[in-house]
Amino acid sequence: MTEPSPNTVPALPVLSIRQPEDIPARGLKLEADAVVIGSGASGGVAAYELSLSGAKVIVLEAGPYVKSEQFTERLVESFQTLYEDGGNQANKSGDLVVLQGACIGGSTVVNAAVCFRAPDKVLESWGENHGLDNLTPETMTPYFDRVEKNLHIHPNGPHEINLNGRLIAEGAKKVGIPAGPASRNIKHCALTGHCIAGCKTDRKQSMLVTYLPWASELGATILSGTRAESFEVRNGRITQVNAIATEANGSSKLVEIKAGLVIIAAGAVQTPLLFQKSAIGNSSGLIGHNFACHPSTAMIAEHRDDIYASLGSTITTYAGNIEDPKEGSYLIEAGSMDPMSITTASGGGIGLEYTDFIQENKKLLTSVTLIHDHNVGRVYMENGRKRIDYDLDDRDFPSLQEVLRATSKIYFAAGAKRVFLPTTRRTVIESADQVDSVINSLENGKHRYKLVSYHPQGTMRMGKDPKKSVVGPDGRMHDLDNVYVIDASLFPTTLLVNPQETVYAMASYLSDRMLARG
Amino acid sequence: MSPCCCYAIWVRLYRRTFAKLGVLAGAGALVLPGCTGSPPARSDAAQLSPAERVMFERFAEVYIPTEGTNLKPLSEVPYLDNIDRVLVFLDAPTLDEVHTGLKLFDYGSVVIGLHFTRFSNLHAEDRLDYIRKWDDGGETQRAIVGLIKKLVAIGYWQDVEAARRVGYQGPVSDEAKILSLGNAPMPVVVAIANESP
Repeated sequence: MTEPSPNTVPALPVLSIRQPEDIPARGLKLEADAVVIGSGASGGVAAYELSLSGAKVIVLEAGPYVKSEQFTERLVESFQTLYEDGGNQANKSGDLVVLQGACIGGSTVVNAAVCFRAPDKVLESWGENHGLDNLTPETMTPYFDRVEKNLHIHPNGPHEINLNGRLIAEGAKKVGIPAGPASRNIKHCALTGHCIAGCKTDRKQSMLVTYLPWASELGATILSGTRAESFEVRNGRITQVNAIATEANGSSKLVEIKAGLVIIAAGAVQTPLLFQKSAIGNSSGLIGHNFACHPSTAMIAEHRDDIYASLGSTITTYAGNIEDPKEGSYLIEAGSMDPMSITTASGGGIGLEYTDFIQENKKLLTSVTLIHDHNVGRVYMENGRKRIDYDLDDRDFPSLQEVLRATSKIYFAAGAKRVFLPTTRRTVIESADQVDSVINSLENGKHRYKLVSYHPQGTMRMGKDPKKSVVGPDGRMHDLDNVYVIDASLFPTTLLVNPQETVYAMASYLSDRMLARG
Repeated sequence: MSPCCCYAIWVRLYRRTFAKLGVLAGAGALVLPGCTGSPPARSDAAQLSPAERVMFERFAEVYIPTEGTNLKPLSEVPYLDNIDRVLVFLDAPTLDEVHTGLKLFDYGSVVIGLHFTRFSNLHAEDRLDYIRKWDDGGETQRAIVGLIKKLVAIGYWQDVEAARRVGYQGPVSDEAKILSLGNAPMPVVVAIANESP
């Protein structure tokens, strides 16, 4: 494809979606070169790149098709229409919510648009410890370049960084923590701060407005509301994917797809469940194991002045040593929050202490933290119910303490009067000299902290050794010859940074590997 | 209901809860309880019983005491109906666990603090004290009181006017008539020469 002439305005690509209501009652039998299960960050990229090569591609998305004009910019409504389990997906203990998109475009529709390249040190550790010496920084750089160009990924400009972001970045530098503008996949951001409720005006370059329309324009068939349920296997190959399309009224139809290539892009929670349900591909016994999720907290502080942190970009700046997980174990992102999120995610207290706190909403500094956690969790089905068995490991608790300590020091350096920790009971640090003593007194335990995960990873570990991994270095499953896994479930360790850009780049790289294999 | 009857119910529920701690603790998720694999039994029928609505009212009165503040009065926010709509999205087993947890909390005051009456019947100061005891209690207590607080916060703050009272702008794109950019143009294809496997 060539650059359009400056004298012509090309028509924008159209996204055509086949919804359950469009499927006849008798069901559907389809054939394709490739079927992609999942339409999020990795599925969207693979659908486009395979379609570009001339392949006949079918995409299955379990979630609904919600047009951006239908987004309401109301968070609770967005949870109910755009998120997995209505925003209720949680770990087995119930003290960590695992947020994932469940709609056409997947989590890219509801994330905060933050983009980082995988740190070189992380890629190098995958080579050293998991035999992934093909995923060198040199190999991946052109793929990062490709997706950054396609998705308009760029560091926030000065107009995209509000006072909250500036104060946090300046505070970080005062206490010796690296900081800078966050990068986002946004074009002409309207600064509404509603990224996680879906970008109503299509500024965020999610799969919904980029790779999926591009794939559709090239002939890909995209089905919404259609959940892959089982596989038929012959001679070490998946020969058919069986899916159920469910209408809004609950009626369902069977969709059977025969394809030479099966590409799994359902995310780190749903992907292992698919294989567990069909009891295939698991000679290593590791499917569903090694779950990790970048446990996150909201950190809030009261400043002397009006800050209006909720006005502007959802995420503006970051702080933390993100180049090497051996040097830094956390990431802090200055971001906007609505009063509901501030209330549910922070320890603002109850009664008059709470109303005093929330009435000062305009003065609140707000940020989101995450830590580089160990892969200690497991995803599985139990009595017909999805389970995410993951609790904050004692080895990771010092990292949580460290990010709370660092953020508190940043806040006081930025002029905060007091800091509210994300504990289930109210914990307030009143001055900088109290930070260490308060943080040191914290203990690990269930339901002690208000935790959320935006980045599930690791349940279909990639590696060279079939005994220690599920998927090979080229994305192909060790046990199934024509099946590729391309989502964040591949990652042998967590990234320390938001994973979406790495998922895009990895999906692009693995698509090239599929095409090279023929 | 007599105090003895309340006590018997509470003990039975508490034992049942500890028997399946992991399951009920699941009722403490940040936004809502659950980690389900089955679709919610969406229904227009009310999810909260009359007694549960009263319990939530008594809870909200002391959790978010709006009187004398700049906050939108609780009486003007349909937070109970909002909570009800949120619960519609739970599957039946999880909803059962939520109902069990709410009963445990409401009747727990018979034993905890020796109030000999339900939480819903306590005076405001006693209710606050009782909530703090659960905040500092065991894992199951922290899970349940955390869930109730979350539901009340969600019910109250999803009211746009309530949020605007504290400086949050709420939905803006329609009001400001911000134009959509639409789908992105097809990209320029750049081949990558890569010799790796």
